[in-house]
Amino acid sequence: MVLSHPPLASLQPLTESELDEWEEAYAAVEAYLQALRVRNRLLVAELVRGILWRASARRAAEPEMPARLLAMEEALKEIADWTQQVLDEPLDEGRLAARGRLALLLTDMPGKWQGVFLTPAPWPEEFQAAMRRCYLTAGPHFAELTMEAKPLEFNAIGAGAAQWWETMNRRPIVFKMFGSVLLLLIIASFWFIFFNR
Amino acid sequence: MKNHASDGAATTPPFFDPKSARLRRIIFFSIVVVINLVATFCLADLFRSSSWHRAHFPLLGIFFILNGLLVLGSFHAVFGAIDMLRGRRRAVRITQLADGKDGPLKARYAVVMPVYNEDSNRFCARIEAMYRSIEETGHLDSFDFFILSDTRDLDLWVLEEVAWTNMCRRLGALGRIYYRRRKKNLSRKAGNIGDFVRLWGGGYESMLVLDADSLMDGADILKMARVMEAYPRLGILQTPPRLIRGASVFTRLQQFAMRLYGPLFIRGLNFWQLNGGSYWGHNALIRIKPFSEFCELPALPGREPFGGKILSHDFVEAALMVSQGWEVWLAWDIEGTYEEAPPTLVDHLKRDRRWCQGNLQHLWLIFARKLPGTVRMHLFMGIMAYLGSPLWFLFLLLGTWLAWDFTASGLSSLPAPPSLLERFVGITGHAHGLILISGVFILLFLPKILAITAALFTPRVRKSFGGALPLIAGTTLESFVSLLLAPCMMAAHTFMVLSIVCGRAVGWGSQNRETDGTAWADAARFHALPTLLGIVWTFVALEVGVVFTAWMSPILLGLLLGIPVSVLTSRSRYGKALAKHKVLATPEELRLPHILRLADNATSSIDPALEASVDGRYGIVAAVVDPYVNGVHVSLLEGAKLAEEYRILAEKCLSGGPAALSSEELTEILYLAPAMLMMHRAVWLRPVDGIHSTWTNAVESYRRRSTATLLAAEA
Repeated sequence: MVLSHPPLASLQPLTESELDEWEEAYAAVEAYLQALRVRNRLLVAELVRGILWRASARRAAEPEMPARLLAMEEALKEIADWTQQVLDEPLDEGRLAARGRLALLLTDMPGKWQGVFLTPAPWPEEFQAAMRRCYLTAGPHFAELTMEAKPLEFNAIGAGAAQWWETMNRRPIVFKMFGSVLLLLIIASFWFIFFNR
Repeated sequence: MKNHASDGAATTPPFFDPKSARLRRIIFFSIVVVINLVATFCLADLFRSSSWHRAHFPLLGIFFILNGLLVLGSFHAVFGAIDMLRGRRRAVRITQLADGKDGPLKARYAVVMPVYNEDSNRFCARIEAMYRSIEETGHLDSFDFFILSDTRDLDLWVLEEVAWTNMCRRLGALGRIYYRRRKKNLSRKAGNIGDFVRLWGGGYESMLVLDADSLMDGADILKMARVMEAYPRLGILQTPPRLIRGASVFTRLQQFAMRLYGPLFIRGLNFWQLNGGSYWGHNALIRIKPFSEFCELPALPGREPFGGKILSHDFVEAALMVSQGWEVWLAWDIEGTYEEAPPTLVDHLKRDRRWCQGNLQHLWLIFARKLPGTVRMHLFMGIMAYLGSPLWFLFLLLGTWLAWDFTASGLSSLPAPPSLLERFVGITGHAHGLILISGVFILLFLPKILAITAALFTPRVRKSFGGALPLIAGTTLESFVSLLLAPCMMAAHTFMVLSIVCGRAVGWGSQNRETDGTAWADAARFHALPTLLGIVWTFVALEVGVVFTAWMSPILLGLLLGIPVSVLTSRSRYGKALAKHKVLATPEELRLPHILRLADNATSSIDPALEASVDGRYGIVAAVVDPYVNGVHVSLLEGAKLAEEYRILAEKCLSGGPAALSSEELTEILYLAPAMLMMHRAVWLRPVDGIHSTWTNAVESYRRRSTATLLAAEA
């Protein structure tokens, strides 16, 4: 493996606040790569450094932008652009991001293809084919049927009961039933206590 | 067959001769009616000899109904035993249509599992087991699997997506196992299945409908599909599911009883129902075309609880199918069909509350036109399963009144006129009463006696239950606890029916499948009324007399001990202690079937590469923060644009956390792909002080985890 990064001689001095800011940016990008389950520490460090390098280049042109924002934008853009190239599919930006992440998961990038992640073309054919094949759907193509309820046909008793049930006001009947039962219970209790001796 | 059925069905001769079927039904029900009439006559004669009392008339009426149900139940077991003795070859067995058949299936089949707020890893394990089991038969290409989610809990929704994706990924089953969640769960489970049929039903010949706790063996599923192909008249093929995985005493009692006594009842049921069977809601194969044509449920007259939407849809769907000339059969010999039971009495009664309301709604269908007799019988039995309890309660109340009145008035000490039996057969009043009571007890225990006798004298069966001693101990314990539970159930069902009559409709709760037991306080609250009833009744009985109290003691003890029995039977540690001694053991427990082993070993839905149940990144939080969970979630949503009002909602969620939104608002956001993508970007891009700590902590958790992983690796 050849590591392609600028030599240490090209490093420039940074202030404490700049260091803190880039530390936060580093942490965010590293966490995102961890969230993508890229486990190899060297690979993570390489990718983070590459992304931060680009962000720092942008920072020169956009000094008011926070380092974390620039770094994460670069990270997300890099991943989206790369998956766009691998998938070779016309997708809008938002969909592409989700589609790309899903394809990475379903092809088991963290398990099988870490070394290929974010590298330029050409990619292994197996990997590219797997990426393009991977998508999720809630179901196969629709094969629709209609379901319509047919009203129940009742016999004479059922029809009469249905008419009565739909039109009557049940509440007073229920209240009366309850009242009667309660009254009976009270009378029975009184009788039991005072007269049954 | 009516002209509604398809051409293929119309030209196929019936599997069982309709005349013979009619004869079987006439024989079965005639015996039940005659025995019931004789018993009722005996009681009437006894009443007459003790001089008529006002309570005697309603008592006789209720006895006729209750004893009828008892005879009906017992004779299912008797006819089942006769059918078993005649041998498998002479039994009517619809699955014989699949005997000797091999080769590829002609049609495609869907395995559908509706879920509602369930443990996603557990139902995915069952799907995985069935997938692997069908794969082993070599016919996987003919089957697609659908998880039809009606889950309302948003966190669980995300967990379901994650579990399903992992399962598909690890089984290589993308495009074979599908997951769909309904935004609105209209018409509950029936609506969920209906939605599947409307969208994808046209692509399949039949669907195997499961419950979230169902498990079926692949070879048996294949056999059912072959029966469906061999017999175009068949609309529904129901299997008799066996209860499994009981840990608590209560569940073990249920699964032991169903496993030991169940086959007798199932064979007895098959003896008369034949092609006019019923559908029990799951573990059944349904032909989709006629189901879509005839089984959309009509609304019942009036409002809930008696009217409105039909709750217990399964019986009605079978009724509609049979009424249109399609046949519904019970595949009694399918063995690889399983389900789980509620773990405690409280859970059991909660489920019963839903079933009770649903079954009482079927009263309307008794009066529907064009329904065959078998269908009306099924509906009647379903209704009486719950209405029987208040009748029994009333019977006991009237009996208490009668005893009270006789004691108070001294009528019982008066010389009684001889009964007809005494006059013509020479049986005295005392013996008459004893014969009647013995008859009722024999009917009550006959199924148990037949089942245990058959098991003890059949070495294969005896061994499968762990031997003679565990079998006898299990039956004794089961009978004893059933006696204690019965009055408690009676009281609970009576209160259920009363509450339904008073207009209280039931909601749709998810089923508790865990066995962590019932707390004493919960049991006291739940069984307070039956216990109170027991206390009052005991005082009244003691007032009547000691003999009467002794007669009533099984009922009174059941009511008084409702709370401790409910708590003690809910404990899985006692269940495990019993299991250690093979008491209440079932063959499936002692020798784990292959499909259960597959389910036990199924872990494909769990993968650290995609998880949404980590501390700090649970459910919705993971769907926003985690790149993969977000990718999965968004990929399953339809494309949409982010309207300003939803952008504001998403911002509110970012700044205030998920708790800042109502459940409805959160649902809307979770259904909007652009909102989920925007939030995912925001939680990673924005500075820590710009968003709620829920998101920043979740982001930070990846770094903590990576550090922890490294430290663990170094250690």
